[in-house]
Amino acid sequence: MSKRVLVVDDDPDVRLFSVTVLEENGYTPLEADNGETGLKMIKEKKPDLVILDVLMPRQSGVRLYRELKTSKSLKDVKVIILSGIAKKTFLRSQKALTEFGGAEVPEPEIYLEKPVEPEELAEAINKMLA
Amino acid sequence: MEIKKLLFVTKFEELGFDAIRSMLNLRKAALEHVVFVNVIERDRIAMRRGTGYQKEEEVRLRETANIRFIDWAETLFEQGMEVGVYIVVGSMVSEVIKAAQKEEAGLIVIGRSHKGVLEQLYSGSDVTELLRRAAIPVLVYKHLSETAIAMEKPFKRPLLATDWSPASLKAINYLTPLKNVIKEVNLVHVASEKDLKGSSAMEIQKTRKNTRKKLEEICNRFEAEGIEAKAHVYIGDPIEEIEKAARDCQASMIVLGSSGKSAWIERWLGSIPKEIAEESVYPTLLISLGKNE
Repeated sequence: MSKRVLVVDDDPDVRLFSVTVLEENGYTPLEADNGETGLKMIKEKKPDLVILDVLMPRQSGVRLYRELKTSKSLKDVKVIILSGIAKKTFLRSQKALTEFGGAEVPEPEIYLEKPVEPEELAEAINKMLA
Repeated sequence: MEIKKLLFVTKFEELGFDAIRSMLNLRKAALEHVVFVNVIERDRIAMRRGTGYQKEEEVRLRETANIRFIDWAETLFEQGMEVGVYIVVGSMVSEVIKAAQKEEAGLIVIGRSHKGVLEQLYSGSDVTELLRRAAIPVLVYKHLSETAIAMEKPFKRPLLATDWSPASLKAINYLTPLKNVIKEVNLVHVASEKDLKGSSAMEIQKTRKNTRKKLEEICNRFEAEGIEAKAHVYIGDPIEEIEKAARDCQASMIVLGSSGKSAWIERWLGSIPKEIAEESVYPTLLISLGKNE
Protein backbone atom coordinates (compact mmCIF):
# COMPACT_ATOMS: atom_id res chain seq x y z
CA MET A 1 0.00 0.00 0.00
CA SER A 2 1.34 3.42 -0.92
CA LYS A 3 2.26 5.88 1.82
CA ARG A 4 -0.29 8.53 2.73
CA VAL A 5 0.58 12.21 2.74
CA LEU A 6 -1.70 14.88 4.13
CA VAL A 7 -1.57 18.31 2.49
CA VAL A 8 -2.79 21.06 4.85
CA ASP A 9 -3.19 24.31 2.92
CA ASP A 10 -6.04 26.78 2.47
CA ASP A 11 -5.06 27.59 -1.11
CA PRO A 12 -6.77 25.12 -3.48
CA ASP A 13 -4.16 25.77 -6.18
CA VAL A 14 -1.33 24.80 -3.83
CA ARG A 15 -3.23 21.70 -2.72
CA LEU A 16 -3.74 20.72 -6.36
CA PHE A 17 -0.05 21.25 -7.05
CA SER A 18 1.05 19.15 -4.06
CA VAL A 19 -1.52 16.43 -4.76
CA THR A 20 -0.30 16.17 -8.36
CA VAL A 21 3.32 15.87 -7.22
CA LEU A 22 2.31 13.20 -4.70
CA GLU A 23 0.31 11.15 -7.20
CA GLU A 24 3.05 11.32 -9.79
CA ASN A 25 5.45 9.94 -7.20
CA GLY A 26 3.18 7.09 -6.16
CA TYR A 27 1.85 8.42 -2.87
CA THR A 28 -1.75 8.64 -1.67
CA PRO A 29 -2.71 12.28 -1.03
CA LEU A 30 -5.13 13.49 1.62
CA GLU A 31 -6.28 17.10 1.90
CA ALA A 32 -7.30 19.60 4.57
CA ASP A 33 -7.95 23.30 4.07
CA ASN A 34 -7.09 24.59 7.55
CA GLY A 35 -5.07 23.67 10.60
CA GLU A 36 -8.01 22.55 12.68
CA THR A 37 -9.28 20.08 10.07
CA GLY A 38 -5.68 19.08 9.46
CA LEU A 39 -5.18 18.09 13.10
CA LYS A 40 -8.41 16.11 13.10
CA MET A 41 -7.32 14.24 9.97
CA ILE A 42 -3.86 13.54 11.39
CA LYS A 43 -5.50 11.91 14.41
CA GLU A 44 -7.99 9.94 12.33
CA LYS A 45 -6.03 8.98 9.23
CA LYS A 46 -2.53 8.79 10.70
CA PRO A 47 -0.69 9.92 7.55
CA ASP A 48 2.98 9.04 7.02
CA LEU A 49 3.83 12.65 6.25
CA VAL A 50 2.20 16.08 6.51
CA ILE A 51 2.90 18.94 4.11
CA LEU A 52 1.92 21.95 6.17
CA ASP A 53 1.20 25.56 5.25
CA VAL A 54 1.57 28.24 7.96
CA LEU A 55 -0.91 31.07 7.32
CA MET A 56 -4.39 29.51 7.30
CA PRO A 57 -7.88 30.02 8.72
CA ARG A 58 -9.01 28.48 12.03
CA GLN A 59 -5.55 27.29 13.12
CA SER A 60 -2.18 28.27 11.72
CA GLY A 61 0.65 25.92 10.87
CA VAL A 62 2.64 27.46 13.73
CA ARG A 63 0.13 26.16 16.29
CA LEU A 64 -0.57 22.89 14.52
CA TYR A 65 3.15 22.09 14.32
CA ARG A 66 3.48 22.91 18.01
CA GLU A 67 0.52 20.68 18.87
CA LEU A 68 2.06 17.80 16.94
CA LYS A 69 5.52 18.14 18.38
CA THR A 70 4.32 18.47 21.97
CA SER A 71 1.90 15.55 21.77
CA LYS A 72 3.10 12.18 22.99
CA SER A 73 1.18 10.29 20.35
CA LEU A 74 1.77 12.66 17.42
CA LYS A 75 5.29 13.95 17.93
CA ASP A 76 6.77 11.45 15.47
CA VAL A 77 4.52 12.51 12.60
CA LYS A 78 6.85 13.72 9.85
CA VAL A 79 6.29 17.29 8.68
CA ILE A 80 7.43 19.36 5.73
CA ILE A 81 6.55 23.05 6.05
CA LEU A 82 5.58 24.59 2.72
CA SER A 83 4.74 28.24 3.19
CA GLY A 84 5.09 31.83 2.04
CA ILE A 85 6.02 32.70 5.62
CA ALA A 86 9.80 32.86 6.03
CA LYS A 87 11.52 30.08 7.97
CA LYS A 88 13.14 32.69 10.22
CA THR A 89 9.67 33.97 11.20
CA PHE A 90 8.42 30.44 11.87
CA LEU A 91 11.36 29.76 14.19
CA ARG A 92 10.96 33.12 15.95
CA SER A 93 7.26 32.48 16.48
CA GLN A 94 8.01 29.10 18.06
CA LYS A 95 10.63 30.75 20.24
CA ALA A 96 8.12 33.43 21.32
CA LEU A 97 5.56 30.75 22.24
CA THR A 98 8.20 28.85 24.22
CA GLU A 99 9.06 32.08 26.05
CA PHE A 100 5.37 32.54 26.91
CA GLY A 101 5.54 29.27 28.78
CA GLY A 102 5.15 26.68 26.05
CA ALA A 103 7.36 23.63 25.63
CA GLU A 104 10.42 23.67 23.37
CA VAL A 105 9.72 22.20 19.95
CA PRO A 106 12.30 20.93 17.45
CA GLU A 107 12.93 22.77 14.19
CA PRO A 108 11.10 21.32 11.18
CA GLU A 109 13.33 18.91 9.29
CA ILE A 110 12.44 20.46 5.96
CA TYR A 111 11.16 23.99 5.45
CA LEU A 112 10.32 25.02 1.91
CA GLU A 113 9.38 28.59 1.04
CA LYS A 114 6.70 29.00 -1.63
CA PRO A 115 6.80 28.81 -4.54
CA VAL A 116 8.66 25.52 -5.07
CA GLU A 117 9.40 23.54 -8.20
CA PRO A 118 7.69 20.12 -8.41
CA GLU A 119 11.10 18.39 -8.40
CA GLU A 120 12.11 20.21 -5.22
CA LEU A 121 8.92 19.15 -3.44
CA ALA A 122 9.17 15.57 -4.73
CA GLU A 123 12.77 15.35 -3.53
CA ALA A 124 11.79 16.60 -0.06
CA ILE A 125 8.89 14.11 0.15
CA ASN A 126 11.04 11.20 -1.01
CA LYS A 127 13.75 12.14 1.48
CA MET A 128 11.30 12.25 4.39
CA LEU A 129 9.65 8.95 3.46
CA ALA A 130 12.78 7.04 2.48
CA MET B 1 -17.25 38.56 26.65
CA GLU B 2 -13.51 38.48 26.04
CA ILE B 3 -11.90 39.57 22.77
CA LYS B 4 -9.63 36.60 22.13
CA LYS B 5 -9.87 36.76 18.39
CA LEU B 6 -10.47 39.71 16.11
CA LEU B 7 -11.34 39.79 12.46
CA PHE B 8 -9.51 42.56 10.61
CA VAL B 9 -11.34 43.37 7.39
CA THR B 10 -9.42 45.45 4.89
CA LYS B 11 -9.42 46.53 1.27
CA PHE B 12 -5.95 48.01 2.00
CA GLU B 13 -6.96 51.51 0.84
CA GLU B 14 -8.57 52.35 4.15
CA LEU B 15 -6.90 50.16 6.78
CA GLY B 16 -3.26 49.26 7.01
CA PHE B 17 -0.99 47.51 9.45
CA ASP B 18 -0.76 50.58 11.67
CA ALA B 19 -4.45 50.02 12.50
CA ILE B 20 -3.66 46.47 13.62
CA ARG B 21 -0.71 47.70 15.66
CA SER B 22 -3.01 50.10 17.46
CA MET B 23 -5.24 47.20 18.46
CA LEU B 24 -2.44 45.10 19.91
CA ASN B 25 -2.75 46.48 23.41
CA LEU B 26 -5.87 44.29 23.57
CA ARG B 27 -3.35 41.53 24.21
CA LYS B 28 -3.23 42.84 27.78
CA ALA B 29 -6.84 41.74 28.02
CA ALA B 30 -7.24 38.48 26.11
CA LEU B 31 -6.40 39.01 22.43
CA GLU B 32 -4.30 36.21 21.00
CA HIS B 33 -5.50 35.67 17.45
CA VAL B 34 -5.86 38.07 14.50
CA VAL B 35 -7.62 36.95 11.33
CA PHE B 36 -7.11 39.05 8.20
CA VAL B 37 -9.96 39.20 5.73
CA ASN B 38 -9.86 40.61 2.21
CA VAL B 39 -12.96 40.30 0.08
CA ILE B 40 -12.55 40.70 -3.66
CA GLU B 41 -15.89 42.12 -4.75
CA ARG B 42 -17.43 39.99 -7.47
CA ASP B 43 -18.01 42.92 -9.80
CA ARG B 44 -14.26 43.62 -9.98
CA ILE B 45 -13.70 40.34 -11.77
CA ALA B 46 -17.14 39.71 -13.26
CA MET B 47 -17.84 38.75 -16.88
CA ARG B 48 -17.36 41.64 -19.29
CA ARG B 49 -18.34 41.76 -22.93
CA GLY B 50 -15.36 40.80 -25.02
CA THR B 51 -13.14 39.72 -22.12
CA GLY B 52 -15.32 37.25 -20.18
CA TYR B 53 -14.55 36.30 -16.57
CA GLN B 54 -11.37 38.05 -15.52
CA LYS B 55 -9.44 35.16 -14.01
CA GLU B 56 -6.10 36.92 -14.38
CA GLU B 57 -7.40 39.92 -12.46
CA GLU B 58 -8.64 37.63 -9.69
CA VAL B 59 -5.21 35.98 -9.43
CA ARG B 60 -3.53 39.40 -9.37
CA LEU B 61 -5.83 40.69 -6.62
CA ARG B 62 -5.48 37.51 -4.57
CA GLU B 63 -1.72 37.52 -4.76
CA THR B 64 -1.46 41.23 -3.97
CA ALA B 65 -3.56 40.65 -0.85
CA ASN B 66 -1.60 37.53 0.03
CA ILE B 67 1.75 39.30 -0.17
CA ARG B 68 0.55 42.06 2.15
CA PHE B 69 -0.98 39.64 4.62
CA ILE B 70 2.17 37.49 4.70
CA ASP B 71 4.18 40.56 5.62
CA TRP B 72 1.73 41.56 8.37
CA ALA B 73 1.38 38.00 9.62
CA GLU B 74 5.14 37.60 9.96
CA THR B 75 5.28 40.53 12.38
CA LEU B 76 2.45 39.11 14.48
CA PHE B 77 3.72 35.51 14.43
CA GLU B 78 7.10 36.72 15.68
CA GLN B 79 5.33 38.26 18.68
CA GLY B 80 3.84 34.86 19.51
CA MET B 81 0.39 35.71 18.17
CA GLU B 82 -1.83 33.37 16.22
CA VAL B 83 -2.75 34.62 12.75
CA GLY B 84 -5.22 33.50 10.12
CA VAL B 85 -6.26 34.73 6.72
CA TYR B 86 -9.21 34.73 4.32
CA ILE B 87 -8.89 36.05 0.77
CA VAL B 88 -12.22 35.38 -0.86
CA VAL B 89 -14.29 36.42 -3.85
CA GLY B 90 -17.87 37.35 -3.08
CA SER B 91 -20.09 39.92 -1.46
CA MET B 92 -18.29 41.89 1.22
CA VAL B 93 -20.80 41.62 4.05
CA SER B 94 -21.75 37.97 3.50
CA GLU B 95 -18.13 36.86 3.38
CA VAL B 96 -17.21 38.82 6.51
CA ILE B 97 -20.17 37.35 8.41
CA LYS B 98 -19.23 33.85 7.23
CA ALA B 99 -15.61 34.30 8.33
CA ALA B 100 -16.68 35.76 11.69
CA GLN B 101 -18.92 32.74 12.31
CA LYS B 102 -16.29 30.21 11.24
CA GLU B 103 -13.67 31.84 13.40
CA GLU B 104 -15.98 32.59 16.35
CA ALA B 105 -14.40 36.05 16.52
CA GLY B 106 -15.10 38.46 19.38
CA LEU B 107 -14.73 41.66 17.36
CA ILE B 108 -14.81 42.76 13.73
CA VAL B 109 -12.59 45.72 12.79
CA ILE B 110 -13.47 47.44 9.52
CA GLY B 111 -12.72 50.77 7.84
CA ARG B 112 -15.46 53.21 6.98
CA SER B 113 -17.43 52.66 3.79
CA HIS B 114 -16.21 54.28 0.59
CA LYS B 115 -19.46 54.02 -1.34
CA GLY B 116 -20.98 57.21 -2.73
CA VAL B 117 -24.09 58.85 -1.26
CA LEU B 118 -26.44 57.60 -3.96
CA GLU B 119 -25.01 54.12 -3.89
CA GLN B 120 -25.41 54.04 -0.10
CA LEU B 121 -28.99 55.25 -0.35
CA TYR B 122 -30.01 52.47 -2.69
CA SER B 123 -27.80 49.56 -1.70
CA GLY B 124 -26.83 50.67 1.82
CA SER B 125 -23.23 50.96 2.94
CA ASP B 126 -21.16 47.88 3.70
CA VAL B 127 -20.72 49.11 7.23
CA THR B 128 -24.43 49.67 7.80
CA GLU B 129 -25.25 46.28 6.36
CA LEU B 130 -22.56 44.62 8.43
CA LEU B 131 -23.74 46.30 11.60
CA ARG B 132 -27.26 45.13 10.91
CA ARG B 133 -26.28 41.53 10.29
CA ALA B 134 -23.32 40.94 12.60
CA ALA B 135 -24.09 39.36 15.93
CA ILE B 136 -20.75 40.48 17.35
CA PRO B 137 -19.39 43.98 18.04
CA VAL B 138 -18.02 45.94 15.09
CA LEU B 139 -15.33 48.60 15.39
CA VAL B 140 -15.44 51.08 12.53
CA TYR B 141 -11.85 52.20 12.52
CA LYS B 142 -10.90 55.73 11.52
CA HIS B 143 -7.43 56.40 10.34
CA LEU B 144 -4.98 58.67 12.12
CA SER B 145 -4.08 60.54 8.93
CA GLU B 146 -7.78 61.24 8.27
CA THR B 147 -8.35 62.95 11.57
CA ALA B 148 -5.01 64.04 12.98
CA ILE B 149 -6.24 62.89 16.37
CA ALA B 150 -3.83 60.72 18.28
CA MET B 151 -5.55 57.37 18.61
CA GLU B 152 -2.80 54.85 18.78
CA LYS B 153 -4.83 52.87 21.28
CA PRO B 154 -8.56 53.05 20.50
CA PHE B 155 -9.54 51.23 23.67
CA LYS B 156 -7.55 53.51 25.97
CA ARG B 157 -10.18 56.23 26.57
CA PRO B 158 -13.54 55.11 25.19
CA LEU B 159 -16.57 57.37 25.34
CA LEU B 160 -19.59 55.20 26.02
CA ALA B 161 -22.77 56.92 24.87
CA THR B 162 -25.82 55.34 26.41
CA ASP B 163 -29.52 55.76 25.73
CA TRP B 164 -30.32 53.05 28.32
CA SER B 165 -31.25 50.63 25.55
CA PRO B 166 -30.45 46.92 26.09
CA ALA B 167 -27.71 47.17 23.44
CA SER B 168 -26.01 50.10 25.14
CA LEU B 169 -26.20 48.26 28.45
CA LYS B 170 -24.60 45.25 26.75
CA ALA B 171 -21.75 47.57 25.77
CA ILE B 172 -20.95 48.02 29.46
CA ASN B 173 -20.48 44.27 29.87
CA TYR B 174 -18.27 44.23 26.79
CA LEU B 175 -15.94 46.91 28.17
CA THR B 176 -15.64 45.85 31.80
CA PRO B 177 -13.29 42.87 31.16
CA LEU B 178 -10.85 45.24 29.44
CA LYS B 179 -9.47 46.80 32.60
CA ASN B 180 -5.86 46.16 31.55
CA VAL B 181 -6.44 48.09 28.34
CA ILE B 182 -8.80 50.92 29.29
CA LYS B 183 -7.37 53.87 31.19
CA GLU B 184 -10.65 55.73 31.63
CA VAL B 185 -14.23 55.42 30.43
CA ASN B 186 -16.33 58.53 29.90
CA LEU B 187 -20.05 57.90 30.01
CA VAL B 188 -22.40 60.25 28.27
CA HIS B 189 -26.15 60.47 27.86
CA VAL B 190 -27.55 63.02 25.44
CA ALA B 191 -30.96 64.36 26.40
CA SER B 192 -32.80 65.93 23.50
CA GLU B 193 -33.90 69.56 23.70
CA LYS B 194 -37.39 68.42 22.75
CA ASP B 195 -37.64 66.53 26.05
CA LEU B 196 -36.83 69.72 27.97
CA LYS B 197 -39.06 72.21 26.15
CA GLY B 198 -41.76 73.78 28.32
CA SER B 199 -40.12 72.48 31.47
CA SER B 200 -39.13 74.81 34.27
CA ALA B 201 -35.49 75.32 35.27
CA MET B 202 -36.21 73.08 38.21
CA GLU B 203 -37.54 70.31 35.95
CA ILE B 204 -34.52 70.58 33.65
CA GLN B 205 -32.15 70.38 36.58
CA LYS B 206 -34.08 67.42 37.93
CA THR B 207 -33.78 65.61 34.60
CA ARG B 208 -30.04 66.27 34.59
CA LYS B 209 -29.69 65.09 38.19
CA ASN B 210 -31.62 61.87 37.57
CA THR B 211 -29.71 61.12 34.39
CA ARG B 212 -26.43 61.77 36.11
CA LYS B 213 -27.43 59.47 38.95
CA LYS B 214 -28.12 56.67 36.50
CA LEU B 215 -24.77 57.30 34.81
CA GLU B 216 -23.00 57.30 38.18
CA GLU B 217 -24.42 53.84 38.85
CA ILE B 218 -22.77 52.62 35.65
CA CYS B 219 -19.56 54.44 36.65
CA ASN B 220 -19.60 52.50 39.89
CA ARG B 221 -19.77 49.24 37.94
CA PHE B 222 -16.67 50.21 35.99
CA GLU B 223 -14.86 51.38 39.10
CA ALA B 224 -15.66 48.10 40.83
CA GLU B 225 -13.73 46.46 38.00
CA GLY B 226 -10.80 48.83 38.48
CA ILE B 227 -11.60 51.13 35.54
CA GLU B 228 -11.84 54.89 36.13
CA ALA B 229 -15.15 56.29 34.89
CA LYS B 230 -16.74 59.74 34.60
CA ALA B 231 -20.36 60.69 33.90
CA HIS B 232 -21.47 63.48 31.55
CA VAL B 233 -24.90 64.76 30.53
CA TYR B 234 -25.20 66.63 27.23
CA ILE B 235 -28.25 68.23 25.67
CA GLY B 236 -29.06 68.57 22.01
CA ASP B 237 -28.77 66.57 18.81
CA PRO B 238 -27.33 63.17 19.76
CA ILE B 239 -25.01 62.88 16.76
CA GLU B 240 -23.49 66.34 17.24
CA GLU B 241 -23.35 66.09 21.02
CA ILE B 242 -21.71 62.68 21.11
CA GLU B 243 -19.03 64.00 18.77
CA LYS B 244 -18.57 67.06 21.01
CA ALA B 245 -18.40 64.89 24.11
CA ALA B 246 -15.74 62.71 22.47
CA ARG B 247 -13.69 65.82 21.74
CA ASP B 248 -14.20 67.30 25.22
CA CYS B 249 -13.17 64.04 26.88
CA GLN B 250 -10.24 63.47 24.50
CA ALA B 251 -11.79 60.12 23.76
CA SER B 252 -9.92 57.51 21.76
CA MET B 253 -13.15 56.02 20.40
CA ILE B 254 -16.93 56.15 20.69
CA VAL B 255 -18.86 53.11 21.90
CA LEU B 256 -22.56 52.73 21.17
CA GLY B 257 -25.24 50.12 21.43
CA SER B 258 -27.02 49.51 18.16
CA SER B 259 -30.62 48.42 17.83
CA GLY B 260 -31.79 45.90 15.30
CA LYS B 261 -33.83 48.20 13.06
CA SER B 262 -34.74 46.82 9.68
CA ALA B 263 -32.55 47.72 6.71
CA TRP B 264 -35.38 49.71 5.15
CA ILE B 265 -35.99 51.86 8.22
CA GLU B 266 -32.28 52.49 8.64
CA ARG B 267 -31.80 53.43 5.03
CA TRP B 268 -34.61 55.98 4.92
CA LEU B 269 -34.89 57.24 8.47
CA GLY B 270 -31.30 56.78 9.59
CA SER B 271 -29.87 55.41 12.78
CA ILE B 272 -27.76 57.36 15.24
CA PRO B 273 -25.14 54.63 15.83
CA LYS B 274 -24.72 54.01 12.15
CA GLU B 275 -24.49 57.68 11.28
CA ILE B 276 -21.82 58.15 13.92
CA ALA B 277 -19.98 55.08 12.66
CA GLU B 278 -19.98 56.50 9.14
CA GLU B 279 -19.49 60.19 9.85
CA SER B 280 -17.60 60.64 13.11
CA VAL B 281 -13.87 61.26 13.05
CA TYR B 282 -13.53 58.84 15.96
CA PRO B 283 -13.25 55.07 15.70
CA THR B 284 -16.67 53.76 16.59
CA LEU B 285 -17.39 50.49 18.31
CA LEU B 286 -20.95 49.33 17.76
CA ILE B 287 -22.46 46.63 19.89
CA SER B 288 -25.68 45.05 18.79
CA LEU B 289 -27.91 42.52 20.43
CA GLY B 290 -27.87 38.93 19.22
CA LYS B 291 -31.02 37.34 17.86
CA ASN B 292 -31.94 35.83 21.22
CA GLU B 293 -31.07 38.83 23.38
